[in-house]
Amino acid sequence: MAIKKAEQPGSDKTKYAIEASQVGKSYGDLRAVDRLDLSIPEAQFFGLLGPNGSGKTTTLHMLSTLIRPTEGTLSVAGYDVVKSPVSVRRAIGLVFQESALDRNLTVDENLRFVGALYNLPEHVVRERSQELLELFDLTTRRHARVGTLSGGLRRTLDIARGVLHRPRVLLLDEPTIGLDVINRRTIWRFIERLRQEENMTVLLTTHYLEEAEGCDQVAFIRKGNLIGQGKPKMLIQSLGAYILEIESEAPDRHAELLNPTLGTPVQEGNRLMFCVPNEDFPVAELQRELKSAVHALHLRRPDLNDVYIWLNRQKPRTRR
Amino acid sequence: MMWRAIWAIIARELTRMLRQRGRLLSSMVRPLIWLLVIGTGFGAMLSHFGPGGYQQFLVPGLLCMVLLFGAMLASLSLVYDQESGVMRMLIIAPFAHYWIVLARTVSAAVVGLVQSVILIVILVVIGYFNAAVNLAILILGLVVTAFVCASLGMLIAVFSKTLDNFAVIMNFVIFPVFFLSGALYPVQHLPLVLKIVTLVNPFSYGVDLLKHAMLDGLTTPLGTDFTIGQDLLYMIGFTVAATGVACLRFSHAPVIETLARILSTPRRR
Repeated sequence: MAIKKAEQPGSDKTKYAIEASQVGKSYGDLRAVDRLDLSIPEAQFFGLLGPNGSGKTTTLHMLSTLIRPTEGTLSVAGYDVVKSPVSVRRAIGLVFQESALDRNLTVDENLRFVGALYNLPEHVVRERSQELLELFDLTTRRHARVGTLSGGLRRTLDIARGVLHRPRVLLLDEPTIGLDVINRRTIWRFIERLRQEENMTVLLTTHYLEEAEGCDQVAFIRKGNLIGQGKPKMLIQSLGAYILEIESEAPDRHAELLNPTLGTPVQEGNRLMFCVPNEDFPVAELQRELKSAVHALHLRRPDLNDVYIWLNRQKPRTRR
Repeated sequence: MMWRAIWAIIARELTRMLRQRGRLLSSMVRPLIWLLVIGTGFGAMLSHFGPGGYQQFLVPGLLCMVLLFGAMLASLSLVYDQESGVMRMLIIAPFAHYWIVLARTVSAAVVGLVQSVILIVILVVIGYFNAAVNLAILILGLVVTAFVCASLGMLIAVFSKTLDNFAVIMNFVIFPVFFLSGALYPVQHLPLVLKIVTLVNPFSYGVDLLKHAMLDGLTTPLGTDFTIGQDLLYMIGFTVAATGVACLRFSHAPVIETLARILSTPRRR
């Protein structure tokens, strides 16, 4: 892809691609997002993680000026979302969960349509479409109607649609939902390339937490509140060296037994999960001790799912 | 800067129209059935207006019918854009949201106009288009009426939450607008209540203006109801007011928020 970048106003002043300060959104009594603080530096790959209904999509809509925050200030690419929504929209690319393409138009017609909406010169649209279609192996389908493409191809085209105007901030709402592994990998490779070549800031929402491990920074959101934030590696390390899972007929008794050495476990049915703080924890000893009393004893490295499970244990911040 | 976006939206609308050939064909067959079947039947009954008199009277109304179906359905399809995904592209595009309403109104009017031109060609070929037509008034009438139909459709589209059913649109919007317009019979003989509805209906003035263009040169007792000035004034006033209200309504923050929520909710398949 061409390296030349368009001149962008305010780019030398902004250090952060996204800055949210005490941002809130209420619908009557319902607080969809509550006092959110976010500072995402330029060119960062940021993951906003949380279950459905946690406020992810509302946050994404505030970032893309479709929903106005009821409190706080929010700026994207240096522009305030309430005061200069059009400038914000010019600086962002948004890929919705659902396709933003016209199924009755061809691949090429869709890209030209988008190019016109962003007032890109026609030769630029031609060049970039060519590059994007080659990258995605869509060149042969150029004149096919979008409705005839497979779900995976449509999704990739939708992302190509979202970056045709080279946004400074790319917002992706569950970009790989409903896709098979191969298509998912293609999409991640492509996003990685965009970040490296275009210096694009990428904000992603997902609930496939393993995919978010490639992020520079992740934040967990629950019921409109941030409940944790950090580098995925650091968050995982902070849990400990291992996760010890025990399946037992008497989980309460085992929880009590191990509490002095391993602390309070997370309990799911008759499964207990403990954080093992260091590498040289005497697992073998424990195994001998419990062998006959438990169904299964499983030691593994922690991952982001565990981070999420442990964060969820904590009580959410009290609300106003 | 907006011209390219507006042109792209018009081009998309025309491409869609040409690809949906069945729909285009039926929008041509519909007025021809009225002209050749109903026009002939009623014409025989009303033979004291001279041979072909009633059919001549019908032609302006049928041209308006094509505008009504073409332009109004095109602007009402704003509601369906949510399903085709295009609304997602438009709502995050770098221009104020009211431009979506303006551009879709213009593109809907263009779709109606293209269909009316196709019908005129057909009418010329089958010999139902009289030579005494005032071309300037005809063009003016078609353009203004197309905008009336497009902006009326847009006004309904931005306020409707339940416009998900084609039958509802046909029965509660398009048929009443068409039947209560003077397209099929002169307004002056209608009973008072129907006459009032017809006088309020902006479409009536489009039909009347085209009657001026196509019937003024002829001597027929089935003539026009208003003056050209009245027609233009009412229709331009209506278009400006309807489009203004539609823009205000669509840019209203809660409307955009609701729309954004609908657009982001995964469809159950």
